[in-house]
Amino acid sequence: MSIQATSASLAAEPRATYGVRARPVWAALAAPYTLFLLVLLIVPFANVAFFSVHSYSPTKILLPELTLDNFAKLFDLYYLRLFGRTFRLGLITTIVCVVLGYPLAYFLARARPRVLAIGLFLLIMPLMVSTVIRVFGWIVILGRKGLVNEALLALGLEPVKLLYTETAVVIGLVNIFLPFMVLPLMASIERISPSLEEAAQNLGANWRQTFARVILPLSVPGLISGCLLVYSISISAFVTPALLGNSRERMAAQQIYDEVLVSFNWPSASSLAIALVALTLVLTFWALFATRRAGRRERAQ
Amino acid sequence: MAERSELEIRGLVKRYSPQVTVGPISFDVSPGEFFSLLGPSGCGKTTTLRCIAGFESLSEGTIRLGGERLDHKPPHRRDVGLVFQNYALFPHLSVFDNIAFGLRLRRLGKPEIRDKVARVLQLVELAGLGDRFPAQLSGGQQQRVAIARSLVLEPQLLMFDEPLSNLDLKLRIQMRDELRSLQRRLGKTAIYVTHDQTEALALSDRIAVLSHGHIEQIGTPAEIYERPASAFVAEFIGSSNLFRARIMEQTSEGTIVETEAGLRLCCARDGEASGGPYDISVLMRPERVQVHAPGNGAGSSPNRFPASIAEVTYLGEDLHLGLTLDGGQKLRVALKNANAARSFAAMQEVEIVVDPGDIRILSR
Repeated sequence: MSIQATSASLAAEPRATYGVRARPVWAALAAPYTLFLLVLLIVPFANVAFFSVHSYSPTKILLPELTLDNFAKLFDLYYLRLFGRTFRLGLITTIVCVVLGYPLAYFLARARPRVLAIGLFLLIMPLMVSTVIRVFGWIVILGRKGLVNEALLALGLEPVKLLYTETAVVIGLVNIFLPFMVLPLMASIERISPSLEEAAQNLGANWRQTFARVILPLSVPGLISGCLLVYSISISAFVTPALLGNSRERMAAQQIYDEVLVSFNWPSASSLAIALVALTLVLTFWALFATRRAGRRERAQ
Repeated sequence: MAERSELEIRGLVKRYSPQVTVGPISFDVSPGEFFSLLGPSGCGKTTTLRCIAGFESLSEGTIRLGGERLDHKPPHRRDVGLVFQNYALFPHLSVFDNIAFGLRLRRLGKPEIRDKVARVLQLVELAGLGDRFPAQLSGGQQQRVAIARSLVLEPQLLMFDEPLSNLDLKLRIQMRDELRSLQRRLGKTAIYVTHDQTEALALSDRIAVLSHGHIEQIGTPAEIYERPASAFVAEFIGSSNLFRARIMEQTSEGTIVETEAGLRLCCARDGEASGGPYDISVLMRPERVQVHAPGNGAGSSPNRFPASIAEVTYLGEDLHLGLTLDGGQKLRVALKNANAARSFAAMQEVEIVVDPGDIRILSR
């Protein structure tokens, strides 16, 4: 009995010591940011949640009576259209980012170190310019007398209305969010050994089959994170749709802004914000679950 | 050779840059032959293999397989199976799907695919593991899957790129023997790339020894070991006593040479041997040197020298002796760990005998 007990305690000991020593250290490391989040995110968000379940009053902003009317109102046609438009633009932006970003991510993942350094710099540089300045750039390009229309006129073609349309919003969003698609995709593709591509070719796959059967399935984790990032930040985008879109075809963040600063309907704005956050969270957890399941199957890599 | 060759490589050259060039390389492989490309890293053996597989384009030369030009076909149209060094199994596919990968691309029917995969799994002794994922297999099992994945397509030529280098020693020897018997049974033409001389000797019908992008020698394992064409081959295959020497005279017994350290040796005459001072080498394999107690040696060999044992290395199966001869010449000797050998100890005086037929003269 004693031998068994000893060996059991010996086996258990290293882990126990590790746990006891490790816990306070990582708590201390995580504490500053946890505090930051608590004070500047969780508490304000609790406040928003508090607003969202109270009635609106034009004079006092808030009446001290609980209600779910603010959420029921989100099912009005106006709000359903607002959500529909927001999610549609988010989806289109995400798809365009995938189509433009995937080849780029593949190229960068397989590039030589020097090319990679230059490519990464070019990819990330636009993020160093403020969104407002970049959007004004797009106004110059897309406007009625902008570069695009001047070029069309010079070619003898009809000018097109681009600025203040959904197309302009998508162009602006894709421009800003493309790096968020390319970076996770690139990380994922980098981990796929080039010898797997060669193996596929050796077994008779042309490049299209190699892509569809090897590269794409193995890059799914990166694809999911990229899509999730781009989708969730585009459905909450404010500056780009506000400056490049028109106010009748607005996105959710513009509506929230209006209700907070123009109509002072804080409870309504809060319910809208909560709904947006809830939907994003559901999506995030689904994506995390999906990537973990994909990851579990190929532990080897 | 009247036999038509299966693979025919003529003047293959791959230029990476003016300084880094492989080739020209030419060789033929007969149907059913196990042919190895052996050499140190950077000698061009993997480049040659990748050229045959189509992953590298040739700068010059031609490759023919079964009489048909191969070098202009894209990699996926070449009927050549390659087993990769790191196996390159698809981590997202089960063992079954990995093996069925090529069959599905060839649009075979489901029952046929199931049949073929089952048969090849049996062949590599992995029956019942079809549902596993590569990550759940041991190194040896992954290796078998990689071989099965190529075999199932019944390619005209099977190629191996250092397939055993990621396995531990015991498994490597076991897989080596299995690979050989598998290839014999299937009668497939095989090209095997390795830097491990033991592997090449054990597996091959013929070996091409490569160095710095060109072929030093092509021959059967015995030819390469017994009659190396150059000092490089002699050094690379097996361990050797290799001394700079000059030719002194030709006698009825053989060619008399003198090493730099002043040791005079009689070598069996073998072809033309000529040259100025010290521009040849003599080779003595350590296991061909006989060691006796002084005065105990048999017969009248022309190469009989007193020596003292400088060190003894005990290796279990073998004993390695470091000897110093009278003139100061050092010599390595390998002995089987048998009764007679056990009595040798350092500092002991002995006598060595080398048969003239066991000494080879190599041009430098």
